[in-house]
Amino acid sequence: MSALDWVVLLVYLVAVVAFGFWTGRGNRKIEDFFLAGRQMRWWAVGLSVMATQISAITFIGTTGQAYTDGMRFLVFYFGLPFAMVILCVTLVPFFYRARVYTAYEYLERRFDARTRTLTSLLFLLSRGLSVGVTLYAPSLVLSVILGWSEPATILLMGGSTIVYVVYGGNKSVIWTDVVQMLIIWFGIFLCFGVAVAQLPAGFGLRDALALAQTSGRLRIMDTSPSLSTPYTLWSGLIGGLFLMLSYFGCDQSQVQRYLSGSSLTQSRLSLLFNAFLKVPMQFLILLTGVLVFVFYHFHPAPLLWNPVEMRKLESQAPAPELVALRQRYEAAAAQRQLSAEAWVRSRTPDAQATYQAATTELAAARGEAVKMVERINGGARYNDTNYIFPSYILAHLPSGLAGLVIAVIFAAAMSTLSGEFNSLATATMIDFYKRFVSPSGTDQKELLVSRLFTALWGGFACLVALRAGQLGSAIEVVNRFGSYFYGSILGVFLLAVLTPRAAARGAFYGLMIGMAAVFAVSRYTAVHFLWYNVVGAVAVFASGLIITALSPRSPS
Amino acid sequence: MGKNPPSPPAEDEPVPVFGTWPRIYAAVIVSALAVMALVAVFSAFPY
Repeated sequence: MSALDWVVLLVYLVAVVAFGFWTGRGNRKIEDFFLAGRQMRWWAVGLSVMATQISAITFIGTTGQAYTDGMRFLVFYFGLPFAMVILCVTLVPFFYRARVYTAYEYLERRFDARTRTLTSLLFLLSRGLSVGVTLYAPSLVLSVILGWSEPATILLMGGSTIVYVVYGGNKSVIWTDVVQMLIIWFGIFLCFGVAVAQLPAGFGLRDALALAQTSGRLRIMDTSPSLSTPYTLWSGLIGGLFLMLSYFGCDQSQVQRYLSGSSLTQSRLSLLFNAFLKVPMQFLILLTGVLVFVFYHFHPAPLLWNPVEMRKLESQAPAPELVALRQRYEAAAAQRQLSAEAWVRSRTPDAQATYQAATTELAAARGEAVKMVERINGGARYNDTNYIFPSYILAHLPSGLAGLVIAVIFAAAMSTLSGEFNSLATATMIDFYKRFVSPSGTDQKELLVSRLFTALWGGFACLVALRAGQLGSAIEVVNRFGSYFYGSILGVFLLAVLTPRAAARGAFYGLMIGMAAVFAVSRYTAVHFLWYNVVGAVAVFASGLIITALSPRSPS
Repeated sequence: MGKNPPSPPAEDEPVPVFGTWPRIYAAVIVSALAVMALVAVFSAFPY
């Protein structure tokens, strides 16, 4: 990074922390601290909802995925607009009128204390562990690409977020999210514009899209009925719908955002704002990744995108084997460039076949390098998708702009972390401390305890992130952990609002059955994870109704 | 609606556009379907 890049990044960090402090003034009670006094307008809440969802790894991982796999990941978001409408009609009015702080608080009013406690505990467990991974993943990528110290990157990213969230609570979270989301939008347009501008002379956007199309990178609508094929239209529409209903309807990190709206109308509008903008935004991010893919047809791409693993390969692989592999890879890259230019000029089937053969040979050469590095690492799976976009930024963006895009990655990480610290503290304070330890206390004491919980969760996230390097495959377990019960928690909420007859016993044991069903499906079938939420929600809903019907009626 | 139902629906602010909430929801769904149709055209267009 150049000095100008450093200046841009530091200005961003100082400005966002100062802004967080300034906007977070005036918290007098926990309703101010956790729900911003229920005073926020729809556009601020809407941008905060969007910023909380888009983490750094979503931003850099999605562009990398478009590079390697194309744009079909877009269908992941197809269920979102429908989920937002369903939530506006069902859960949002219930939460809003019940004047709750947490989504789980509502479940005690509807069912019983143990259902509330269990769902809140599941949220704390999954979100508490995953927030560490949310911090670790971009810190690792940035430290590897930029050569920074990994602990220093974690502490810079996590620490700067903790200080303003501890002081200002949800007001700081929402207002900094607004600024960070605007920075992210600016960064997305900037990257897209730079990627278009960097196409070779005489090679237009239409040519780039033609090349991407012939490489399969523009394939989005896969109508395969297979449940194991990733990102089909149906898994996006149905599985994605249930996932988004779970995330936006039952995950406190999102529920808390729209509970801060000044009215039910404002809360609903904040979600509908996302329903309009989310798919176009993801489309633009993915298209930028596709343009980076086209860009590297005309510029040398590294054999491996992770420089640390590349150095390991250079020092540990047999030299003659590596030299031969490099020569094969460079020859294939040169052949792919020539054949790409020829195909774009002629558009004949023969030229297309030559281009596709060159692409296959290039992929095979890289596949050999991946196998070599996996052998060196004792068989551990190698994936460098998340390193592609940061490598491109650093190598090919002008000085200043590279720093700005690194700031965008920080903004994406911090906007997610801030919402998660705040929501973890809220669930701990409202569902456990105030429920079981100290139901009433002075505003001053409750505010102090709330800040303490925020600091503790922030510190815990940093600790998990600092230790994550030694956790190995446990990280994957943490990432999968949430998907086991996300849909099941949604099933409990569906029982609560859709069925007047569902009883507490049905909800509690239905939740257990739902989680067991998802675990069984993930363990014993090849069903893609987007369907887990459908399985969980349906299993809880059906078993909850059956258990209620078989149970003796309560005297009340 | 079970124990402790929330108060019955009552709008707290005037409906911002289109007169009623169902019309707003319909507009969101139509726009989502239109975006998906555009995405399908983008994906299959012969560049």
